[in-house]
Amino acid sequence: MTPLSNAKVLVTGATGFIGGRLAERLIVEHGARVRALVRNFGRAARLARFPIELVQGDLCSPESIERAVEGCDYVFHCAYGSDGQDEARRVVNAQGTRHVLDAALKHRVRRVVHTSTVTVYGNTPDGPLDESAPRRKTGFAYGDSKIEAEETALGYVGRGLSVAVVQPTVVYGPFGTTFTIKPLQLLKSGRVILVNGGDGLANLVYVDDVVSGMILAALVEGAHGEAFILSGSEPTTWRAFYAAHESMLGRSATVSMTPEEALKHFHGSDGARAGMVSQLMKAIRHPGVRKRIAETREGQLAIRAFHRLPAGLRARISGPGVSLPGANTTATDMAPAIHPLHPSKIAFMTAKTHARIDKARRVLGFAPQFDFTRGIDLTAAWAEWANLL
Amino acid sequence: MRPIRVGVIGAGAAAEGIHLPALARTSGVETVAIADPSADRLEYVADKFKVPARYRSHQDVIPHIDAAIVGIPHQYHAPVTIDLLRAGVHVLVEKPMALSTAECDAMIRASESSGARLAVGLLRRFAPTLRYTKQVLESGMLGPIRSFDVREGMIFRWPVKSAAMFSPQCGGVLADIGTHVIDLLLWWFGDVAGLDYRDDAAGGVEADAVLKVEMAGGITGRVELSRTRDLRNSCIIRGERGTIEVGTKTDSIVTLTPVHGDASLSGRAVLPGQQPPGNLGDLFAWQMADFVRAIQTHSAPAVTGTEARRSVAVLESCYRRRQRLVFPFETLLDAAASEKAS
Repeated sequence: MTPLSNAKVLVTGATGFIGGRLAERLIVEHGARVRALVRNFGRAARLARFPIELVQGDLCSPESIERAVEGCDYVFHCAYGSDGQDEARRVVNAQGTRHVLDAALKHRVRRVVHTSTVTVYGNTPDGPLDESAPRRKTGFAYGDSKIEAEETALGYVGRGLSVAVVQPTVVYGPFGTTFTIKPLQLLKSGRVILVNGGDGLANLVYVDDVVSGMILAALVEGAHGEAFILSGSEPTTWRAFYAAHESMLGRSATVSMTPEEALKHFHGSDGARAGMVSQLMKAIRHPGVRKRIAETREGQLAIRAFHRLPAGLRARISGPGVSLPGANTTATDMAPAIHPLHPSKIAFMTAKTHARIDKARRVLGFAPQFDFTRGIDLTAAWAEWANLL
Repeated sequence: MRPIRVGVIGAGAAAEGIHLPALARTSGVETVAIADPSADRLEYVADKFKVPARYRSHQDVIPHIDAAIVGIPHQYHAPVTIDLLRAGVHVLVEKPMALSTAECDAMIRASESSGARLAVGLLRRFAPTLRYTKQVLESGMLGPIRSFDVREGMIFRWPVKSAAMFSPQCGGVLADIGTHVIDLLLWWFGDVAGLDYRDDAAGGVEADAVLKVEMAGGITGRVELSRTRDLRNSCIIRGERGTIEVGTKTDSIVTLTPVHGDASLSGRAVLPGQQPPGNLGDLFAWQMADFVRAIQTHSAPAVTGTEARRSVAVLESCYRRRQRLVFPFETLLDAAASEKAS
């Protein structure tokens, strides 16, 4: 028995990575009666394995949020804007959070756990980082709107609603998208830039540790009105992080660059351009697409024409980091393309910031159970099962 | 000939994405009515396909139709189909035909006593490549067949319009995709002699399932099904003289490799007078045309209730013997919790 046994708990974002695992553990470990706010039922296959109440709703619709919150003892707000343009995502993050908290206030929910992110601290300097650091905007929609959402959430503290904020760092593990599936896809489809050889610190946290921290944030009295960084026991380097994924795939696919080189590479590639052209360029850069184009009659003609050009002109057309296949060669013969690294990620991968979890340890009793070795072993076992290797 | 008046039962994703488009491509039919308890879906789908009469219950449709297409949550297949058949309405019901053999028997009896045709939407029987595979197996080209291995999984993206599909009575990936696969195995290899079935349901419906099966002829095989993983979506069949791999999806490729060969022949199968199916819609149109033919000619449809009952029997047996599927990535925490939940 835990205080959550038979409690009615709403999880927003339950079809996502963290919310999904949270919902599972609330049901099977705590015996909670979980209601999941679902925008698209098609994404609910994993959740549907459990006795769970699936209710349709959208963060942008206050009526649907109010129906979902009504009757709940606890609310875990994990949903965030993940599709559409920046502005649409900002609206989901900021207004959506307001809708959840308004409904929670109205229906006297015991505690709302708002899922924020360590990204609210912006481009962090080297050295220790704790919750006393200023929130800093970087001009990128995700982090900036999460600052807005976090401020909104904490703004309800004085209005009689109990709110705790968690700020997970780099969350990885089974079903993880940004830091599990994506790195594997990037390593498989091209080469990944390691800024300064991957010397920067990766504040990794295994998904189950984040979920444990969130549950503590719901239950511990002293969490009210507070924010908690949730990270693993010790940071590792980005080099070690990518090496672990290269070893899962059995291939080396990283390339070291200084931050300046990475930025130059980004601006020289499609990442800097917007709109359809950038998408088309991206598609053309995909090895499978290039192979298909290269194998068409027109593709072979273009390649032959290209090879008849003077060498100097050829080099100018190719440009740095772009290669055209020789006639009668296929995409598989070419050196894999280097994936451009977005400027926000360059700073993120350069910093030797150590996200401290002293506050979560002290106040919540948070104690990460999965060190990097154990977490990555489980992740590798999942990736193999998931046919991703 | 007067067109067959057809009613569509259920205004969900199947009606919208599959059956109504197939009806629109079929001659000899007129879609006159549609029924769904959800007023919003009913209006939306009926307007989209210009279906004149709309009803909240299938009972109200009966007086206006000769035939019905039933695409509703699995647990309602039997009761609704029986109502229709008893009233003399011909039925094409989506797979799985029902969730128990007792229900199948009642459906077959209802069809026999009223004379209304009962067809089941085991669509893959219409796929040329899968038919070709059956013919290759029967011809003995591969020698005696030893084993097979099926992996079929897609990260679930089916545009379901409600949570009904995930209700515990509905069954999970086994009832849904598994029915198609089991039907192929029964069609290709004969009856099932023994099985070992595991899935990951913990009080809800399974998203991942692994079935090990022995066919009556001694062929053994493994079937892996998933709604959480993108798998290779093919069946590999190994015989003494060679191997055939066939994609289990619509427009699939078949690959034949001789036992000691280092080359394979790969391509699509075609039926006389037909183009290879361009998409899933073509197969659904062929299925609809077969249903219409069965009604017009007073003959049996390609997939009868008796034939479809065979896969329901295996499904029923799987669920009855279900064991917990242990994931390679699970922690002690998952194991303890799942034991408790199941």
